[in-house]
Amino acid sequence: MSTIALKTLFIKEVRRFSKVWLQTVLSPLVTTSLYFLVFGVALGSRLREISGVPYIQFVVPGLVMMTMVRDSFLNTSSSLFQSKINGTITDILVAPIGAFEMLVAYVGAAMIRAVIVGSLVYVVALCFTWFPLHHVGWTLFFTAFVTATLALLGMVAALWAEKFDHLAIFPNFVLLPLAFLGGVFYSIDLLPEPWHTVSRLNPLLYMVNGLRFGFLGVADVSPLGSAAVVLVSFVFLLGLTGALLRSGYNLRS
Amino acid sequence: MKPPVLRCRHVVKRYGKFTALEDLSLEVYEGEIFALLGPNGAGKSTLIHCITGLAKQSEGTIEVLGFDTVDDFRTTRRLVGLVPQEINYDPFFTPLESLMIQMGLMGVKPNRERAESLLRTFALDEKRDAYTRTLSGGMKRRLLVAKALVHEPRLLFLDEPTAGVDVELRRELWQEVEELRAAGTTIVLTTHYIEEAEKLADRIGILHKGELLLVERRESLLERHGGRSLEEIYLELIRKADGRQAA
Ligand SMILES: Nc1ncnc2c1ncn2[C@@H]1O[C@H](COP(=O)(O)OP(=O)(O)O)[C@@H](O)[C@H]1O
Ligand SMILES: [Mg+2]
Repeated sequence: MSTIALKTLFIKEVRRFSKVWLQTVLSPLVTTSLYFLVFGVALGSRLREISGVPYIQFVVPGLVMMTMVRDSFLNTSSSLFQSKINGTITDILVAPIGAFEMLVAYVGAAMIRAVIVGSLVYVVALCFTWFPLHHVGWTLFFTAFVTATLALLGMVAALWAEKFDHLAIFPNFVLLPLAFLGGVFYSIDLLPEPWHTVSRLNPLLYMVNGLRFGFLGVADVSPLGSAAVVLVSFVFLLGLTGALLRSGYNLRS
Repeated sequence: MKPPVLRCRHVVKRYGKFTALEDLSLEVYEGEIFALLGPNGAGKSTLIHCITGLAKQSEGTIEVLGFDTVDDFRTTRRLVGLVPQEINYDPFFTPLESLMIQMGLMGVKPNRERAESLLRTFALDEKRDAYTRTLSGGMKRRLLVAKALVHEPRLLFLDEPTAGVDVELRRELWQEVEELRAAGTTIVLTTHYIEEAEKLADRIGILHKGELLLVERRESLLERHGGRSLEEIYLELIRKADGRQAA
């Protein structure tokens, strides 16, 4: 394996999103902060506690997770898809770069972008409501594995997609609704049946609640249960992406 | 004896039911310029893609300096350079950045001096920090050639490098190709300008509907056809092959 090639591809991916940071960092930060201001600060002052924490704090981990999920997915999917469309993927395909290096570089860069945006959202929230992280270990665990999982999903989507419309399905029609329904703004314990049970089929529920446990020490699902769901998703997508890259699916004709 | 730089053995490439390359065997030797000619759709790019990693052959083996392009792809890709037929460029990076990145991707430590010297060679130094999309078509193509050379490949593929390029630039490009060959690089090129191939190539291969009709040294080919131009010989062969198929 060539460490120079791996390092170059990783740095290239990081530079790609940092060159357009208005779009890749500032824009999600502003959007998510607006959600926080409207729901957390404005509405939150009228709402009682939820799961034993002030509502203004309750929404923070959900919002952080929502933006990390989206940014991680968008980073790998748009970068890989664009290079497929404009032909620059050729530069990588002719290089001594295997599936492993592609995985590490693309996923690593996406995780960095997601963590930057997620941290900034947390910092914005701290300006309104100061609270330390309840459990640093779980916070790091869910941050790392969820962003990696979504970055892998982004790669699968980019490999599969043949036009931009295919790609746009995911963030708008899958990830955003699932994040909303996964309890970013509420506890699913407030839902009547069958919605409470249906909610448990949503993988985003475990991602949101996992991070909420890390941030606040409260969650609708035990952190171990959430960790299990996240790990299974991660391993599944890792295997799938690795297999697709090795087979050259929609890359090498 | 040294192994040939390139050895294709019984290569078959199918796209679904369509067979783009049929049982193709070919050897290319160190230091030669090999011209691969053939009408549009003959399979020239397909063959080049199978060798360089953009595609995977359905059957057969391909070796570069004795290394298998599938099993030892990291080694062979380090030895091979490709100037693709289609122009591509990354709108995010300048020509200088593109060359530095490509060096790294090819597994070579990025070296600014080498990048700058390549930009000078291809008359791109004035544009080194410009957005690549602001380059003219000819400049973009020259950047493609420079990118293919960052890792000093032993075997260079030029897939229709002169398509849509003006006369002056074509001259310069072929001069650069001669210099590369003089420095020891083996070159395989495709072109629709048959007279260019006639001037440059040591050996000629003619591909037609996925089959090699002929592989021969230029001199012996021309000699055999007593004073006729390569273009005439080429056209006659293609017509014959088309007639044979129609019959
Ligand atoms: N990715 C692909 N899928 C299906 N058919 C293809 C693909 N690439 C090339 N072909 C077909 O293979 C044949 C050879 O194409 P190509 O190698 O590009 O020819 P040339 O470079 O000699 O003009 C053509 O009929 C072309 O349509
Ligand atoms: Mg072609």
